[in-house]
Amino acid sequence: MCSVPGLNKRPRLGARRGGARRSPEGRGHSGVESVISILLLGLLLLIGLGVFIRQFDVDMGRFGIDTTTAGPLLEQTEPNMQEPALDALMPDGFKKFSEIETYDAGNLYEKINGKAPSYTESGFVKLFTQRFISKDDENLWMELFVFDMAAIRNAFSVYSVQKRADAGMLAFAKPQPCYRTSNGLYFIHGKFYVELIGSTESVALDKAMAEIAVKFASQKIVDDDKITEFALFPEKDAVQGSFKLYLANAFGFDAFTDIFTCRYKLGDETITMFLSKHPDPQDAQTTAESYYNFLIENDATDKPTANKTLKDIGAKVLDFYDTTEIIFAIGPFIGGIHEAENQKAAEELAARLLDKLSNTAKTIKND
Amino acid sequence: MTEQNVQNFARTRVTRETGTSGRRQFLARTGKAGISLAAAGLISYQLYDRYGPTTGVDADSLVTLPDFRVPDKLGQTMSIVKGPDRKATANKAIELLGGIERFVGEGQTVAIKPNVAFASSPMLGATAHPELVAEVVRLCYNAGAKQVIVTDNPINDPASCFTLSGIGKAASQAGAKVVLPKAHLFRHTTLEGGKLIRNWPVFFGPLENVDKLIGISPVKDHARAGASMSMKNWYGLLGGRRNIFHQDINTIIAELPMMVKPTLVILDGTEVMMTNGPTGGSVSDLRRANTLVASTDMVAADSYGCTLLDLTVSDLPYLTKAEKAGAGTTDYESLKPVFGTV
Repeated sequence: MCSVPGLNKRPRLGARRGGARRSPEGRGHSGVESVISILLLGLLLLIGLGVFIRQFDVDMGRFGIDTTTAGPLLEQTEPNMQEPALDALMPDGFKKFSEIETYDAGNLYEKINGKAPSYTESGFVKLFTQRFISKDDENLWMELFVFDMAAIRNAFSVYSVQKRADAGMLAFAKPQPCYRTSNGLYFIHGKFYVELIGSTESVALDKAMAEIAVKFASQKIVDDDKITEFALFPEKDAVQGSFKLYLANAFGFDAFTDIFTCRYKLGDETITMFLSKHPDPQDAQTTAESYYNFLIENDATDKPTANKTLKDIGAKVLDFYDTTEIIFAIGPFIGGIHEAENQKAAEELAARLLDKLSNTAKTIKND
Repeated sequence: MTEQNVQNFARTRVTRETGTSGRRQFLARTGKAGISLAAAGLISYQLYDRYGPTTGVDADSLVTLPDFRVPDKLGQTMSIVKGPDRKATANKAIELLGGIERFVGEGQTVAIKPNVAFASSPMLGATAHPELVAEVVRLCYNAGAKQVIVTDNPINDPASCFTLSGIGKAASQAGAKVVLPKAHLFRHTTLEGGKLIRNWPVFFGPLENVDKLIGISPVKDHARAGASMSMKNWYGLLGGRRNIFHQDINTIIAELPMMVKPTLVILDGTEVMMTNGPTGGSVSDLRRANTLVASTDMVAADSYGCTLLDLTVSDLPYLTKAEKAGAGTTDYESLKPVFGTV
């Protein structure tokens, strides 16, 4: 019987054949398989490592556990600042009606619920509250709210955006600005926004609130910061106390931040003027163009203008649902008119603002 | 057969054998890999907790709020009454729905849940008005109620809220038992199909053994939600760190009428907080609308209520969400509301 060379040959253990490794049972695996296996194992290890690390970063607040009452979080939010002495503000004829309560960004909602984001999104640090009650009449009480907003601009923003339509401006030397309604008094003092809310409409409460406001403003607890943008608005025809500051999302436009507005009275027309200072002219120009595009995307249309001042600077005049919107950039400033009913009056005001800003822009350039 | 041919034959046979063996191995491996994947998937599926960790309450101890509704009556689902006097408009609105006897029976226990969210003067409109709460308490007793409970879980200090809003005193004087929130009165609930109300503490104790539930709320502007009315009022029943729900305010408000099925809601638009809500702070935030709504459909009540704030249904996405969830209708006119003036 002849033997047939190679017929009964079996591959040797561990011998390579066509790149395959052979197991004792004869099953082989390629180098590619080995690489894939190692990669998969590596991936699994990474996933495991990720899960392991992530488990130390659980938001327990998601599960109803209060994380604000103790520990490092509180230390982080504890402001390093001087605090107002509320007890020292007690007006004559009144006594304490509650102890001082304090709230930080983590629990502000416990005091003002759905209004909390208006503050926390505007730099809020801490709230101090206390109630005072008349010694003679238990129906006469008030609550003092002192919001530490970290900076005068933030304080002014929450003050101005909430300002009541029937506000009566008060001419104290300090605090300023300050206004009253039939049952309350509201002002800013440096970084603090302060509200005094009365239980009812009462002359006695009015007097006590005014006393508190003056006492508060006499406390040396704030830097004497100023908001420089007020001086950039034309004075003529401005409605007293009508300044507002929108820190973000002004006029529904995301990129409109730090927008100041002021109302003007021209004949029967009340018109809103706005301006914002940017880091440099290029940034102002870009933001102005973005706002113009935003308006166009929302059905605004260009309007012809005969106003030479506006034309020369390349201001955009638009019709926006039968109102006039004007926007321009000059130097580091954006300026304009928002939702005016009368185009001619709007253009006249815009030209006044442009004139004032162009002088300021020149000064900045020369500096 | 030449030597060369024999070698070629042998090589071909080895190749065929190896090929057959390779296919078998491939199929075996694929089968095993498939079984491994299926097993791993099955085990993962069994172990997967789609809701994540909870505060430790097991499913058996979860509660569901009772259904306090009364049978519908055609043409008597919603009434809208104009007038400056809350007591008079409330009486008329309930009368137009068939009278208080339709809602409260002899010997029954009634819980009234007014909005007592803040420790503020009733003049500011941030809470339900004490006169209105007291009037509804009286109406319930007139209908033969055995006991009336007035309760809420305010955000501020509860005692201060009930005291300074005047609701505690008014309710007590009208004969109601005022129940303030205490830890042992909270139980966990899960809203079936709910996204946010899952294993969450709810102010269950005062409602556990009552027969009827009436909600009373003012119409208010709300910085986060757009408006706070009868649906948002039930937010007061939630415990825990409920402010986290403000991140998805429309969903939580839409889930509330799924969780709470009251007998009746009373929406007070006598004075409406138009600005600076939900706390307000000045009477100048209010506008007199002289309107009060009573309804067994709170989605409908709020859909009308938003018009008092110069809003439309589309301004408040939670209304449409609640309607889609089957909590009521935004088309309040389809209910043919009964109008009245006093």
